[in-house]
Amino acid sequence: MAGQASRNFMSRRLGLALIRAIVTLLIVATLNFILFRVIPGDPANMLLAGARSSVTAEQIEAQRQNWGLDRPLFPDQVVDYLWASLHGDLGYSFKFRGRQVADLIFERLPATIALVGLAQIIAILGGVMLGLYAGWRRGGAIDNIATVSSLALYSTPAFWLAMLLIVTFSTVSGWLPGYGAYSPSASIASVDRLLDYLKHLALPVAAVALGLIGQYVVVARAAMSEVVTEDYMVTARAKGLTHRQMLMHHACRNAMLPVVTLITLNLGYVVAGAITVEAVFAWPGIGGLTVEALNARDYPVLQGIFLLLGASIVAANLLADLAYGILDPRVR
Amino acid sequence: MTENIVKYPPRGRTRAVKRFLGQFLRDRGAQVGLVCLVFFLIVAAMPNMLVGPLQTAINATGDFLAPPSGQHLLGTDEVGRDVLNLIVHGARISLTIALLATVISLVVGSTVGMASGYFGGWVDTWLMRITDFFFVMPSFVLALIITPVVLEVMGRSGYILGFRLSLFVIITVIGMTSWSFVARIVRSQTLSIKERTFIDRARVVGSSNLSIMVRHILPNLVPQIAANGALVVAGAIYIETSLSFLGLGDPLQPSWGTLLSLAQRAGAASAGAWWYLGAPGVCALMVSLSFVLIGNALDDTFNPRRRAIP
Repeated sequence: MAGQASRNFMSRRLGLALIRAIVTLLIVATLNFILFRVIPGDPANMLLAGARSSVTAEQIEAQRQNWGLDRPLFPDQVVDYLWASLHGDLGYSFKFRGRQVADLIFERLPATIALVGLAQIIAILGGVMLGLYAGWRRGGAIDNIATVSSLALYSTPAFWLAMLLIVTFSTVSGWLPGYGAYSPSASIASVDRLLDYLKHLALPVAAVALGLIGQYVVVARAAMSEVVTEDYMVTARAKGLTHRQMLMHHACRNAMLPVVTLITLNLGYVVAGAITVEAVFAWPGIGGLTVEALNARDYPVLQGIFLLLGASIVAANLLADLAYGILDPRVR
Repeated sequence: MTENIVKYPPRGRTRAVKRFLGQFLRDRGAQVGLVCLVFFLIVAAMPNMLVGPLQTAINATGDFLAPPSGQHLLGTDEVGRDVLNLIVHGARISLTIALLATVISLVVGSTVGMASGYFGGWVDTWLMRITDFFFVMPSFVLALIITPVVLEVMGRSGYILGFRLSLFVIITVIGMTSWSFVARIVRSQTLSIKERTFIDRARVVGSSNLSIMVRHILPNLVPQIAANGALVVAGAIYIETSLSFLGLGDPLQPSWGTLLSLAQRAGAASAGAWWYLGAPGVCALMVSLSFVLIGNALDDTFNPRRRAIP
């Protein structure tokens, strides 16, 4: 009976989270539509602007009808736009003439996923463990060093860290490449090429990972130092458990809750955070594309990226909700 | 009227403020943060007296990308401008953007949170829906898409209060997208404060909703707003630096982020010009770190929930 009730509760919770996610995505898409139409000038004029002198008013009017721009903004055009976005049709890029925005984004996505994924793994391994340990031994030497440096890392713009890394490890010492994803001279042989790629990946990953480590240490330490003051820790000690047992069975499991939530949420945010880092390294991912689109005022591409970021953030939130439900028995 | 609201007798209030200050100033982080912040505020208050007017490519005095020397303490940039001159003027611009954006976000956040918590019902439901959206979407992502469009609509030129219009666009966009956290905290505090007796008393006396909110609830929210305000400033600096770095700043009034963007375009990193890219970054880091430290110290002082470790 109880199991049935709790399962109902869980599915209700998930249902609500799902509805919230869909509403958020709808707002993102609608915002995309509104922003694009706020820009002065009719889209038809803008798209044909390059050839304005040789385009007649009738041709523009015909094109407006063809694109559905003569119909009312609401609801016709909005619904059309949302419907098209839903089907993966994000329009055409201004800068890369004739290329589909969706294609451009999917082309760049693997590079960003490699960068962000690797950085995330390193940050989880390093940052969470360091933070938990610092919280467990609060006031110790490691705690003091970890707290100060993680706060500093936390307040450092990741892209600035990236520039410093280039100066130190690329310009001055020449150990690692600081630009692009492949050396121009790299051979096609697969192993060499992979090694070359990894070498190029090292510094961007380090920059993103260091920023994340700062965050994870702060949160993991706070969670752990909250846990060690709880009554059940006193009970555990009174039962005569060793430090190791207390740490493993009682402290870590409880302290992991906020940490896991942060990690899952970060899955969505780091793509956005990596934009500036990618710009520094000319990394051929979503960030590089964002900068190119910003400089060329390529609005369709910007809209597509905004939609992608929104979708990944919403998905990460949904995942965090799920993880929380599974991990926290009180929610179950 | 006023006699009714004073909770402490005047001397008691002074004592409370003194005790708070005493505890706050004993915090090591707060000390470091305050000293650092005061330094930057002084620098930002009188850039012309300290380093002279902002140098441009026309009145630049130094060599191109010259390393630090006696004449140029922090070296020069790619057109020969003194980097020290640039970052001192950048302090004023960066701090103005961050502080004004924070004021906007605190005003919006407190208003939304207070209205939501005080009125409840459908007002609460709808305001919290909106807050949820801004809570989920990071300010940086929203600002990244909104800023270029607004810049296109409004144009970059024109001055307001001596600042370029494009800076005002950035300020407004950052302020309007980073208030959700404040709104949530203010709402939860309002929910508990509005149940207290002194609110009922004010209502019986015949105070209007607005006056109850402004005179009775708002003063009790000051601790939460202050502690979070400090963190909002740190966030605003981060977002401003990132946006300007991506080229959305104003080259005529360069903030630290804009300077980093110029350094990146000039290839300072691969030219090894550490002074050019180092100086603005260190400044942004120090200011944002000192706000984080002050925010943490305020939070610690207001929530004295510090128990012994077993």
